Amino acid sequence: MSENRTFFRETVERILADTLDKAAIDAAEERRLPSSLYDALVENGITLMLVPEDKGGIGASVGDAAVILRAAGEAAAPGPLLETMLGQRLLADAGIDLTDGLLSLVFVDDSAIPAEGETEWRDAAIHDVPWSEAVSHVLVVARSDSGARLLLTQADGWTVTPVSDAAGEPRDTLTAASIPVVSATLGDYDALLRTASILRGAQILGAIEWSFRRSVEYAGERKQFGREISKFQAVQQMLAELADHVLASAGITEAAAEGLNASLAAAARSRLGDAADAAILITHQVHGAMGFSLEYALNSRTRRLMAWRDDYGSVLHWRRALAGNFAGLTRETFWPAVSDAGLPGAA
Amino acid sequence: MTATSLHLELPTLTPEAETLRQEVRAFIAEERSSGRLPPPHRIGLGFDREMTKRIAAKGWIGLTWPRQYGGQERSALERYVMNEELLAAAVPVGAHWVADRQSGPVLLKFGTDEQRRFYLPKIAAGDLTFSIGMSEPESGSDLASLKARAEKVDGGWRINGRKIWTTNAHRAQYMIVLVRTSTVEGSRHAGLSQLIVDLAAPGVTISPIISMAGEHDFNEVLLEDVVVPDDALIGKEGNGWNQVSAELAYERSGPERWLSSFRLISELVDVLGPDARAASLEELGRLISHLLSLRQLSMSVASMIQQGQSPNVEASIVKDLGTKFEQEAVRVVRNIVSAEDLISNGRAERLKALLIHAQQYAPAFTIRGGTNEILRGIIARGIGLR
Repeated sequence: MSENRTFFRETVERILADTLDKAAIDAAEERRLPSSLYDALVENGITLMLVPEDKGGIGASVGDAAVILRAAGEAAAPGPLLETMLGQRLLADAGIDLTDGLLSLVFVDDSAIPAEGETEWRDAAIHDVPWSEAVSHVLVVARSDSGARLLLTQADGWTVTPVSDAAGEPRDTLTAASIPVVSATLGDYDALLRTASILRGAQILGAIEWSFRRSVEYAGERKQFGREISKFQAVQQMLAELADHVLASAGITEAAAEGLNASLAAAARSRLGDAADAAILITHQVHGAMGFSLEYALNSRTRRLMAWRDDYGSVLHWRRALAGNFAGLTRETFWPAVSDAGLPGAA
Repeated sequence: MTATSLHLELPTLTPEAETLRQEVRAFIAEERSSGRLPPPHRIGLGFDREMTKRIAAKGWIGLTWPRQYGGQERSALERYVMNEELLAAAVPVGAHWVADRQSGPVLLKFGTDEQRRFYLPKIAAGDLTFSIGMSEPESGSDLASLKARAEKVDGGWRINGRKIWTTNAHRAQYMIVLVRTSTVEGSRHAGLSQLIVDLAAPGVTISPIISMAGEHDFNEVLLEDVVVPDDALIGKEGNGWNQVSAELAYERSGPERWLSSFRLISELVDVLGPDARAASLEELGRLISHLLSLRQLSMSVASMIQQGQSPNVEASIVKDLGTKFEQEAVRVVRNIVSAEDLISNGRAERLKALLIHAQQYAPAFTIRGGTNEILRGIIARGIGLR
C-alpha cells in the first residue's frame, strides 16, 4: 500500500474510532446523521478527496477512495459518504461548481429527464435517494443518448416520501412538480455506474471482513459443551469456507478498484454478491441466537450487506454484463479475453 | 490486506512475464496448426511424452531452477503465466507436471548437490516422469498413519509397503516415497523419510486402478524388499513430514486447481454464441466472476511466493476454492446446455463428450492432492481457530 493510502486509511480509521459508536449507528435509523463523523471527514478533506487538487480537492484515486470506504464499511458508518465523495468528483469533472457539505447521489436508467438546456425539471420523480434530508444537494446521474447527464438539484426543493433500506438508513422517494436543475453532460453512463459500484463494493467488502473477524473472535469466546465452539470441526469448516469468500472477494475488489475495467468491476460485484450471502448465513450461524438481537453489533453489518448487495447495479445485472463481455467469443479467443480482463501488470 | 491473519498483495506481472505469455501462445498456435494438438474431448492433464519433449526444448520445464541444474532462473510469476497458458489450451503436460511442480523443487530444497545434478537436468530435458508415493490403502487424509517402512541395510535401505492412487506410476521412472524409517515415542510425524525409488527395481509391482471416468492414471504400487542405495534418501532421515508439508504447499495454489476443466467452459462459450437467455448469462457471468477472482488470487499467491513470503493458508484457500469452482463449472455448463438445448440431436458433439467426462471426473476435484475437509482444517488453523 502506498504511503498516501496508508495515511488516508489511518486517518479515517482514527476518525471512525473517535466519532462513531453504536448509538450513532443506531440513530441513523431515526434519520439522524452521525454529524460528528461527517464534520471530521469534511474537516480532513476526505469528502473532497476524489476532487482534483486544482479544484480544491486531494486528487486521490478511486483505489484510494475504495480503501476509505472499505474502512467505513467495516465500521458500519451510516450516511452519504460514497455519495458525497463521488458526487463532488463528478461535479468537478463536469465543470459545475462544487456544493458545500454533503451530497446525495442517485443513478437513473429509464426515467424521463429534462431535455438538454432546460433549467427546470417538471413532473420529476426519483427513488432510492440516500439521505435526501441530510444533504444540501441531490445529484442525479441519468443515462442519455449522449452518454451520461448530470442533474444537480437543491435537496430542499423536493417533496420527500420517507423510505428506509434494510439497514434502516433513509432511501427516500422524491417528487417535484417542478424543480430547478443545473445540468451537464459527462462521459459514459456505464463507466460512472461502474465507479460507483466498485466504491459500494469496497463498503460491502469491509462489512464482510468485520463480520468474519468478529465471528472468528466470537467462536473463540463462546463456550458450549465445556469448550470454545471454535474447537468444533463443524464450526471450523464453516468459518474456513467464509475465509475463502473473504479472500477471493478482497482480491477481485482490490483489482477492480485499481484496474477500473469493465470485466473486473462486474466480476467484483458478482463475487461480492456470493460472499455477502455466505457471510450473512455463516456469521449468524456461528453466533447462534446472539447475532439475531438488535443489541448485538453483528446486525449493523448484516443489514448493510442486505442494503448494499444490489446497489448501483444488482448482482444479477453485473453477471449479465460480465457474461455479455465474453458471449460470442470462440473456444480459442475466450481464454485470451479472460487473461486480458485481469489487472494489467505494473513494471 | 484483509481480515484476521489472511494476507493478500496485488500481483504485478513483469514485462518479461507478458513476453513469455506471447511466446507460449505462439507455441500453442504452432502446435494447433501442425495438427499435433487437437482440441480434446476430455478434461484433465493429458500425458504425451513427445509434447513434454517439445516443451522442454523451449526451456519451459524447471523454468525457475538454477541454470547449473538445467533451469532458466526465471521468476515464479513467469512460471505461473506459462502454466496458465498451457493449461487453458489443454496442452497435455502430464508427463512432466509432477516432476516440475513437486519432485524437482523438493530435490532443490532438500536434496544433495549430487542428487540435483543427476535428476534435475533430466527432468528439465523432459526425460523423467516422477510419481508421488504418499497415500496408502489405510492412510489417506491421515497420512502420518502410513505403514510403509524402510530399514537400514548395508549401503542403503530396504523398503516394504503398499502405496496407492499413485498417478502415472506405470509411465514414470521414479517415485518419491514417504516411509517410516524410525519410531519416535510421542510423535507420529517424526521418523518419516523420503526415498527415491527406481520403479524398474526388483520387488516393485505396479497394478492399474481404473477410474470411474474410464482412465488408467492411478496405480497401486507394491514394494517388497525393494533395496535402494543410501543416496536415495532425500534430506534428513526422519525429517520426511516437514519436507512433505513444504512439498504439498507448492502444489496447492497453482492454476491447475481451477483450470483443469477450463476447456469445458471455453467450449460452452463457443457453442452458446452471443444470443443466450438472461438466466444463462447470469449463470455464466457468475462462473466467470469466480474464474477471474480465482485467477487474481492465484497470481497474488505466486507473486507473494516470488517475494519470498510463505502464503500457506492463502494457497490452501486457492485449492479449496479452485476445486469447488471446477465442480461448480460442471453444474453450470450442464444447466446452460440443458436450458439452451445445445447438444441434443447430434449437435456439439465435442461439448457433449467434454461434459460427460467432466461429470465423471468432477468428484475427484475436491479429493486429489488432499481433501477439502483437510484444507479447511489448515485454513481454520491459519485464522486462529485451532
